[in-house]
Amino acid sequence: MASPDIIELRDLGKVYDLGAVQVPALRGLDFVIEEGSYTAIMGPSGSGKSTLLNILGCLDRPTSGAYFLGGDDVAVMTDKELSQIRGTRIGFIFQSYNLIEQLDVVENVHLPLFYQGKDIKDCYDHCAKLAKKVGLGDRLDHRPMQLSGGQQQRVAVARALVNEPLMLLADEPTGNLDSSTEQEILDVLDELHHEGRTLVVVTHDDAVAGRAQRVIRLKDGLIDQDLRQVPTVDRTLSE
Amino acid sequence: MRGSSFLRVGQAGFKSLRLHKLRSMLTMLGMIIGVWAVITLVAIGEGASYDAQEAIKALGANNIIIRSMKPMEDKVQIQGEMQWVSHYGLTNADAARILKTVPGVKRVLPILIHRKNVLHGKRNVDCRLVGTYPHYPSFTQSRIVAGQFVNEIEEARRENSCVLSHDLAKKLFAGENPLMETVTVRGFESWQVFRVKGILEERTDLEKLPKNSNVMGKTLSSNVYIPLSTFKSLYGVKNIDLSVGSVSSEVVHLTEIRVEFGSVEEVIPAMDLIKDALDKGRNGKVDYEIQVPINELNTLRAQKARDTRLLMYIACISLLVGGIGIMNIMLATVTERTREIGVRRALGATRGDITLQFLVETLILCLIGGGIGVVGGWLFATFRHNIMHTTTIVTEWSVILAFGLSVSVGLVFGIYPARRAAQLDPIEALRHA
Repeated sequence: MASPDIIELRDLGKVYDLGAVQVPALRGLDFVIEEGSYTAIMGPSGSGKSTLLNILGCLDRPTSGAYFLGGDDVAVMTDKELSQIRGTRIGFIFQSYNLIEQLDVVENVHLPLFYQGKDIKDCYDHCAKLAKKVGLGDRLDHRPMQLSGGQQQRVAVARALVNEPLMLLADEPTGNLDSSTEQEILDVLDELHHEGRTLVVVTHDDAVAGRAQRVIRLKDGLIDQDLRQVPTVDRTLSE
Repeated sequence: MRGSSFLRVGQAGFKSLRLHKLRSMLTMLGMIIGVWAVITLVAIGEGASYDAQEAIKALGANNIIIRSMKPMEDKVQIQGEMQWVSHYGLTNADAARILKTVPGVKRVLPILIHRKNVLHGKRNVDCRLVGTYPHYPSFTQSRIVAGQFVNEIEEARRENSCVLSHDLAKKLFAGENPLMETVTVRGFESWQVFRVKGILEERTDLEKLPKNSNVMGKTLSSNVYIPLSTFKSLYGVKNIDLSVGSVSSEVVHLTEIRVEFGSVEEVIPAMDLIKDALDKGRNGKVDYEIQVPINELNTLRAQKARDTRLLMYIACISLLVGGIGIMNIMLATVTERTREIGVRRALGATRGDITLQFLVETLILCLIGGGIGVVGGWLFATFRHNIMHTTTIVTEWSVILAFGLSVSVGLVFGIYPARRAAQLDPIEALRHA
């Protein structure tokens, strides 16, 4: 029995209109991402990877085709509706953490809920619980500047989880980290996967992609390769 | 805003501004100075104008003062014909004619003043000897501090009774009770002894008149009041004035005539009739001047309105400059925080949320700056009023104006940077270093 689909792309295309020239970035993508799956998207620069990430994250709209996120066609939504979708259905994890420097750990975790009109007093426990879950229980009132890179990315992971999103969308989540911290963050992502979260990771790093169940490789705006694999963690576990 | 209240956006704004305390303070400085300047300048102007208006009101808005004035022609005569004594000025007949012929006139008060010297014991004070009628206190709204003013009987009998002004009594008697004591008034021709009947306090605010005003002569505070009949019988109307380097002698029957009307409205229309009454039998010689407090009051009010308008322009300009400073900083802030804007947008903030965030930050700067300015202006005014004893009045409208302007400046100059922030493409913003 197939898992219900979280994401469905139908002939998704994106053309950048630069006035004089039309630059096609995506030229018709069709794929489905199931709930609870762990997918890595790879490809060389210029392959349309970033464009796809922006569209998946509802930061940008396709110029053709359809993108269903949790059953709704996101391609036709207004800017305001997209903000709402981003705030409720997607959890972003960025390469450079992107925490807000004037806010402490709990406040940073709370931020997506802030834009959903939820007062921090009402969901402090929830935010604090998530911060503890990623191992920052003793740093709830620290500012990002007082944290290491790995710790900051953990806060970002907690922040991505706070609104119970349909999908966690990570863009080179370990790109700024050293290898041991990278493992820590990837372990956190594995753990989330095993909890049943849906993960999409955009990366050019084979080690990161190796943790996923499925690797989609892009080339020139098209799917070059769509490979289902046994994740490396599961491989080590089974050995 | 999907329920996220203004208050919480405000709290978030505070956090952002607290991150750069020095910058926030400097940004506010323009607003602080602007608001402070408006409130302070208006308070100083208001205080000065209040004093002047009170002083003119004290003369009575429904009064006019006609004063004897040496005509220009007389000076020529003195040189030409070596005339020692000049005859000019108002007479009792003028006063009577005004009372009889000018409609609306309720009372007239003739006053004759000579400069003298008054003695008690070893003390000796320069003073003005004021000959007048018993209704002087009610006419001039002065206050009897002790005893009584000279009355009708004393006027009729030409008695040597006198009333001292409060300051003079203090100088001359230094704490002793002057009532029923005697003082000696020393003049060029004679020495006269008067019995002190009472002490009168002129309206003190007369001393706060604007410097260029000629409403009253000098030494307001050292007066000896005696019945006009006594004055004339003892001294006549010839006044010999010995001042440094010159001797002048003149015959003036009355120094001034004060005219009281039934109401303020009757004053201006009656001016021509007053002039007519005075010019009768004068052969075109102008030896008087008419002072109309209501006119001066109106002039003063018009001047104040002009001053206030000028202050408001200055205020508007300074707040404009402050506003531009704030906009400048906010634009820089938006650029600096481009990435933060991108992150917030990615996490679900709408364009409206971003606009509100930056608008609120600008507003907070203006509100705090305005608040500090208001408090600063008020403190300065209070200090000046209570410690430096210069009338300074903080008017409600100046506070409302200054504060209102600072808030509107915040809104006007905040909206552009906020819109710029909101219009940023989240993808571009996230890519920003």
